[in-house]
Amino acid sequence: MGYTARQIGAKNSLDYKVFIEKDGQPISSFHDIPLYADEANQIFNMVVEIPRWTNAKLEISKEETLNPIIQDTKKGKLRFVRNCFPHHGYIHNYGAFPQTWEDPSSVHPETKAAGDNDPLDVLEIGETIGYTGQVKQVKVLGVMALLDEGETDWKIIVIDINDPLAAKLNDIEDVEKYFPGLLRATNEWFRIYKIPDGKPENQFAFSGEAKNKKYALDVIRECSEAWKNLIQGKAADAKDIELTNTTLSGTSTFSAAAAQAVPAGEAKEDAPIDKSIDKWFFISGSA
Amino acid sequence: MLRRSISRPAQRLLMTKSHLETPFYGKVVQGSKFTPEYAQYLKLPNGEVGSYFHDIPLELNRTDNTVNMVVEVARWSNAKFEISRTRPFNPMVQDNKNGKVRFIDNVFPAHGFIHNYGAIPQTWEDPTVPSTHEGVEGIKGDNDPLDCCEIGSAVLSMGDVKRVKILGSLAMIDQGELDWKILVIDTKDPLAPQVHNLNDVETHFPKVLESTRSWFRNYKIPTGKPANEFAFSGQYRGISETLSVIEECHESWRKLLRELEGNESVPQTKRAGAGVVYESQELPDAPIPPEIGKWHYIK
Repeated sequence: MGYTARQIGAKNSLDYKVFIEKDGQPISSFHDIPLYADEANQIFNMVVEIPRWTNAKLEISKEETLNPIIQDTKKGKLRFVRNCFPHHGYIHNYGAFPQTWEDPSSVHPETKAAGDNDPLDVLEIGETIGYTGQVKQVKVLGVMALLDEGETDWKIIVIDINDPLAAKLNDIEDVEKYFPGLLRATNEWFRIYKIPDGKPENQFAFSGEAKNKKYALDVIRECSEAWKNLIQGKAADAKDIELTNTTLSGTSTFSAAAAQAVPAGEAKEDAPIDKSIDKWFFISGSA
Repeated sequence: MLRRSISRPAQRLLMTKSHLETPFYGKVVQGSKFTPEYAQYLKLPNGEVGSYFHDIPLELNRTDNTVNMVVEVARWSNAKFEISRTRPFNPMVQDNKNGKVRFIDNVFPAHGFIHNYGAIPQTWEDPTVPSTHEGVEGIKGDNDPLDCCEIGSAVLSMGDVKRVKILGSLAMIDQGELDWKILVIDTKDPLAPQVHNLNDVETHFPKVLESTRSWFRNYKIPTGKPANEFAFSGQYRGISETLSVIEECHESWRKLLRELEGNESVPQTKRAGAGVVYESQELPDAPIPPEIGKWHYIK
């Protein structure tokens, strides 16, 4: 596909940024990668933000030009998710679908909650650990509806099409068959992951049950439509989202020159992570 | 003059304190990590090379239930480092089979080892005679130092020597060999003052006892081996029995040094004393194969 990652700054530092490149040219990770890698076969592009078993909360920036992946901060400090026993860091390759948006001005009829203003979140369950800025081709298996502090935050469950098990996984029930315990662990992980930070347990819509592939595809379509409105300037509230792109020549935010402003990549050694991030938290009533 | 006479003992006191708080033992590293050539040797305070097996004292304290531990594997990692049985001075090496270094598999929901894993120095699970310990009579040891699992919140490093508090143990039977797992916590851990026994572990580290047992039961299944078994129907043993196990294995170690030196089927007993010095020849780490990232699901 010709996608590569351009790193600027050291990982685990405030300077860290990962731009996605197409044929060596920086593009927007949010707007310039087609949602569908192969629409006829329902194969999607996924942008990997966080590799499995790591803690740094990396995400596509909504504010920076060309939406590089950066580490979330709180009060100027880098944000890491805490380890909640028996889990270590994130338990999936975590990322997003490009060209999707969970519109905060739209209340979902079934979850009764508004979107979280981010691209759709994706949980990739294959056996290979991904890397930040990777563009994976994935197939969709199902979806869970997290209600994170009152907002709908869909988590689409997918598998890399190159995974040895991909051919055998076609819908949500296959996940339990080939990855027994993973959906339950996923449910628990999202419910408790903010408890060590003093926040309440998250809730899931649909009693925590994962919906099937068909339902997930509908959610993706809705979020794809919301993004189309966003990029065309038709969203009710664009929330100051940075819409600069290098490929959508019909949009007012198209700028082929934007890529030239991105600094050259640099292979910097990772900055050390504070030792406190190694702590394992024991949440009673979990696992 | 007055100033010097005050400051000197104060300085000495400071040195004593820092001596207790900073690593007392050093290391000498040779080769690339994750290759069969890699070895990490113990460097004693006087600069000579020592043995992780024989030259770190046991220092078992029956009053506060503490003992020394040598860390072999950091929590959440996969490379199976261990004190070498066969090489002089018993360095840390990565276990290998036919020249292929060994990584343990991730068994869902675990990532790598779920404890800081290591050994108790100056102990040996004797493979030459059947155990006389009640409940495991007749079973021979696995020919290694006693294994221990440290449950504190910090991720420790290979070669660390830690003062740990003994909390209990599991009597694992690995393919017919007795292989005790001693559960401990670093005395420096913030929770150590509140954790004295297995009940306290269940209170402060809920599900760790159960997860530890299932981890050891299942961890070799992805490689095609059977589940490990446990004596005592898998029940944890308490502190006084665990202290006895450590003492018995310390006695076995003394016998190893006294009577079995040079016997090829038992561990190397070469240790410090002759003033041997090794130079570091550390090389960059070899890559960890990507398949080590796979999560295995046991049905």
